[in-house]
Amino acid sequence: MSATTPPVHYRHAGRNWRRVLTRTLTYAILLFWAAICLFPIYWTITTSFKVAVDITQGHLVPWLQYQPDWKGWRSLGLSPDTIREFSTPREEFLKRFRNSLFVALGAASLAVVIGSMAAYGLTRFNYRFGPFRNKDISFWFLSQLILPPVALALPFLVLYKELALLDSRTGLILVYTLTVLPIVIWIMRDQFQTIPLELEQAAMVDGSTVWGAFTRIVLPIALPGMVAAFILSVILCWNEYFFAALLTSTKATTLPVMVASQTGSQGINWWTMAAISAAAILPLIVIAILLERWIVKGLATGAVK
Amino acid sequence: MSDAPAVATNTWDAAPGGVSSERKRLGRLIIAAATLALFAMLLVQALHTADRIDTGFANWRPILYIYLIWAVVLAVGLVVMRGELGHRALFILPAVLFTVSMVVFPTIFGLYIAFTDWNLSSTSGRNFSGLDNLRKLVHDKFFWTAMENMVYYVLSVLVQFAIAFLLAVLLNQEIRGRKFFRVVFLLPFMLSPVAVSWMIGKSMFETRFGPAATLARKLGWDQPAFFTDPWIARLSIMSMDWWVWIPFMMILLLAGLQALPHEILESARVDGATAWQSFWQMTFPLLLPVSITAVVLRIIFQLKIADIIITVTSGAPGGATDSVTSFIYREYRDRSNVGYGTALAEFYLVVIIVFMTVLLWLTNKWMRRFT
Amino acid sequence: MSDLKATMLKKPVNRRTALKAATGAAASMYAFGVAGKSYQRALAQHDIRAQILQIPGVGAGQPTDADMQRVGELCLEPTRANVQPGEFNGVELTFMGLNNQNLHNIVFRALLAAWVEYTGATINWIDLAQADYNPRLQQAIATGTVDFDILEMGAPFEGDVCGQGLASVMPDWVKDQIDMDDYVGYLQAPVGTWDGNTYRISIDGDAHNFNYRTDVFGSEDLAAEWAASGGEGDYGVPRTWQQVKAMNSFLYGKELDGQPLYGYLDAPKPWGGFGFYFLGSRASAYAKHPDSKAWLFDPETMAPYVNNPAWVRAIGEVAENIPLLPPDQINADPNTTGFSQFLAGTGSMCTWWGDVGSNAKTNDSSIIGDVVGFDILPGSVDVYNNATGEWDTPAEPNYSPNEAYIGWGVYVMSSVDSDPVKQKAAWSAAAHLGGKDLSLWTVAYPSGFQPSRNSHFNIEEWVNAGYDEAFIQNYLDSEANSYNHPNAAIEPRIPGIFQYYSIAEDELQRGWADGTDAQTIADNIAAAWESITDEIGRESQVALYQASLG
Repeated sequence: MSATTPPVHYRHAGRNWRRVLTRTLTYAILLFWAAICLFPIYWTITTSFKVAVDITQGHLVPWLQYQPDWKGWRSLGLSPDTIREFSTPREEFLKRFRNSLFVALGAASLAVVIGSMAAYGLTRFNYRFGPFRNKDISFWFLSQLILPPVALALPFLVLYKELALLDSRTGLILVYTLTVLPIVIWIMRDQFQTIPLELEQAAMVDGSTVWGAFTRIVLPIALPGMVAAFILSVILCWNEYFFAALLTSTKATTLPVMVASQTGSQGINWWTMAAISAAAILPLIVIAILLERWIVKGLATGAVK
Repeated sequence: MSDAPAVATNTWDAAPGGVSSERKRLGRLIIAAATLALFAMLLVQALHTADRIDTGFANWRPILYIYLIWAVVLAVGLVVMRGELGHRALFILPAVLFTVSMVVFPTIFGLYIAFTDWNLSSTSGRNFSGLDNLRKLVHDKFFWTAMENMVYYVLSVLVQFAIAFLLAVLLNQEIRGRKFFRVVFLLPFMLSPVAVSWMIGKSMFETRFGPAATLARKLGWDQPAFFTDPWIARLSIMSMDWWVWIPFMMILLLAGLQALPHEILESARVDGATAWQSFWQMTFPLLLPVSITAVVLRIIFQLKIADIIITVTSGAPGGATDSVTSFIYREYRDRSNVGYGTALAEFYLVVIIVFMTVLLWLTNKWMRRFT
Repeated sequence: MSDLKATMLKKPVNRRTALKAATGAAASMYAFGVAGKSYQRALAQHDIRAQILQIPGVGAGQPTDADMQRVGELCLEPTRANVQPGEFNGVELTFMGLNNQNLHNIVFRALLAAWVEYTGATINWIDLAQADYNPRLQQAIATGTVDFDILEMGAPFEGDVCGQGLASVMPDWVKDQIDMDDYVGYLQAPVGTWDGNTYRISIDGDAHNFNYRTDVFGSEDLAAEWAASGGEGDYGVPRTWQQVKAMNSFLYGKELDGQPLYGYLDAPKPWGGFGFYFLGSRASAYAKHPDSKAWLFDPETMAPYVNNPAWVRAIGEVAENIPLLPPDQINADPNTTGFSQFLAGTGSMCTWWGDVGSNAKTNDSSIIGDVVGFDILPGSVDVYNNATGEWDTPAEPNYSPNEAYIGWGVYVMSSVDSDPVKQKAAWSAAAHLGGKDLSLWTVAYPSGFQPSRNSHFNIEEWVNAGYDEAFIQNYLDSEANSYNHPNAAIEPRIPGIFQYYSIAEDELQRGWADGTDAQTIADNIAAAWESITDEIGRESQVALYQASLG
């Protein structure tokens, strides 16, 4: 008896023990990575409430190690004591915030609309354009993503000058659409490939046109994917720096350029830098919290072919 | 993979015919007339710009509108001419026309200035210089250091992939606070590279008061210096890059995991396979397409890595952290050396296209062997 | 009345009483209607100067946006004299300048707020990061996209801008309004002029001076150690680069109040071309011979001097010094050495433009305000003579302050000339920023600018503002002596000068990081410079270089 039972017990105990170990390890990794993700953001936000001494001493915990100060936010005109007064930096900040929002949303919308159409066409129909077929057209779209922006900098400057698009939000929207369009097409192609053709065929039998089937049948199914593509595009456009610095000057300026230009010849006011950085990422953090589910869900539909 | 042939069963069959020859002729006429009008306007405006004639617009903006009208007429013409086929062409037409019109001028103009000695400070403007720029490139040690670095940066994508995969698998488990972890893990992707450069690269990695340095000292590194030794500097840059981009790969992989058919995994479990076995035998192969998509997309982004390097190190120490783009950027911005800078960019573009073509071909071949 | 004035002018007046007295004086004058007009104006002006220097007051932290708006309002008098209220209604101006943190454009915006309200004009701003400034300007010139009316610019670019007829000639009424004769000597013509026309409103003077820690060089413990270690001469502030070198080795590994000490802070990391000035400051005493004005290029051929023994020595000394500096120093640019390190208490000596001094007590980042001293750049016991190819050993050490960048100025673009109202508006805005009183405030507080007028060197005003007299005397002396030095090393105002600097920075840092020998580094730079000269055009560069040397 005693020779046979212990192993069973032992094995059972071993499994439990391993289960606990796996669980512990899982949570340890998750918590560790969460700390890695959160600490820089925590650092940014807390730094915006520090003064010089707190920074040179490397203080970490507000109230315990240092007394939070509104200095960083005051220099933006966003602290409680300046929020009511007229403030030139705040005007500037708000203008750029509006521009960033408008440009990111505009470019993402345009890219999702024409990108979804193109992706649908590329998955459903066989195109021929001279020697090029669907495969080549897809690669050509993708290759636009490869282009290093510096190669296009001066030509774009000259082109935009001639088209009177310099320093205009339209101009920025067009460039950003160009940069995110390949990603949108890529994501949406995967989406459409998973949608069974029979649905559309059924609609066509009922007398619907190609476009009718596309808008009424296909788009609603592909909506989660479109939302995901849209959000990714917004994020990439919101943070774009290079073209924004090159093509705008006064009216269409965006936030990343403001963050970058805080770096001057006379030291860095970390509190201001941190305050602007924090304010600039706030909308995206809200997006992450509210729409995270949509991103994953949207990408999931097209993930496995 | 993007260039895998479209799944046959999921494609419409060849075009239904049935457009009368009058309609064909009418359609052709519309398109020809519109195109002729567009070219006429282009010619007028070009002559006006060259000061040959007086009529014309103050700038090229109206031509842009005319181009838009032409595009609409072209669409109408296609439908008239081809009927159903025209309708189908309309799907891809806007994206193609948009991309072509955005890149055609910059590409041609870019190629042209790549063969000039254009320096913005030069009083004589740009002069054709033949292959001078290419010859200079061959001997430019900064450029080749940067090319070498690109190999490391691209390889580091695999490390990102491994971490992202692990995180995605963990997030796909039955765990408490899943929503919380998923949102938190996504956050780094939201930060602009410029903000990351400053708040992490310059503030947290500051050698005296930065928390990363403090931590390093606690761990026994007496005099932490993150950007002095070439390899440590490279790793510091990479770590920031990983921090930003791992979430991107992670959500792609997580989405892939969630789309896996549950029955298959369940059946594996019933068969008594261990977690480890079922992972390697089922999950990993099933996730292969998504994984390759994620890796390839990331490599494409990685080939353009620049923002963080420009802000944090400007290539320091001595070009050890330079990426090709960040080096071109310096050539371009700090030295206004537009001709040479563009030549570097065009050369790099050719290298990338060759590399990507080979990479896509290889992955395709590899995928086929797997499935 | 005269008693009152006398009290105000006397030194030891605390801030509050000065302010009270000033407002009291003005009030009583209005009340009794006494005193002639000119006297009234003189007093009023003095009143304003004292008043603005109290905003926010030394030691009261960095000025806020509201503070600056107030200063702009108080300094509006000269504009009122030349412009009617609302005269520029509907005029839209675009101003391009730097957007360094809380400085430059940020300051200009606030200072111009009252001007905008009074004149009715609107101003759009093009804010540029320091690194984006040069390329943006070059691109605008090269592609004909000059989309700004007023420009904040440094003298090095005058060849590019004024030489091509892009700038508007200064009207005479502006010259009167801003009192140009008040400029310090080296900012007078030819700086700011081109072909005999005046273009520039100077708002800044620039020269590298030498900043040191008085507590380190006044420490008796360290002096004793110095003597014990057999150090040559008395322990004290080094006055030649040879002494700096000895001090760097001595201070390494020592501590003061528990903090590790370091010697002279070199800045090896590229900084968009601006970092090369710091090698220049180390080299000027070796390379700038009193017999010749040229120290960067041969004025006849544009052959670089940068690989001559003088520069090679400077490059080699930086390489020797880097291991003696804090970890990661290879990744420190001048911004780091001046502000993150020196002002924050790391390092005993550093070279910078005068901002370190004006920021020592008013910048929120500074923690060393009370222990910093100033002087002109160190000299050298020997100086290299390009004519003979020999090192000369003069009786006295050779000093040569590096007049790096020659300061910022405000320029108006010629595109406004076709519209008289717009032209007047643009010049009026520029003149407001370059005003005599307003500039006193900008040089006293963190704004990005340093003393540039003779009237800025009036110690009493600074003391009344709350500065310690010894400190400010020491600071202003170092500035004035740099500006007026007979053997100053002058910046060449030639096109593309920053390209030379930028490629040199890359080569320098690479060489220092790899441990390449100094001569090879210098030869690499020289080769790169030759090719830039060929690209831009050798003949025109030679002509412009000779012109800029005077």
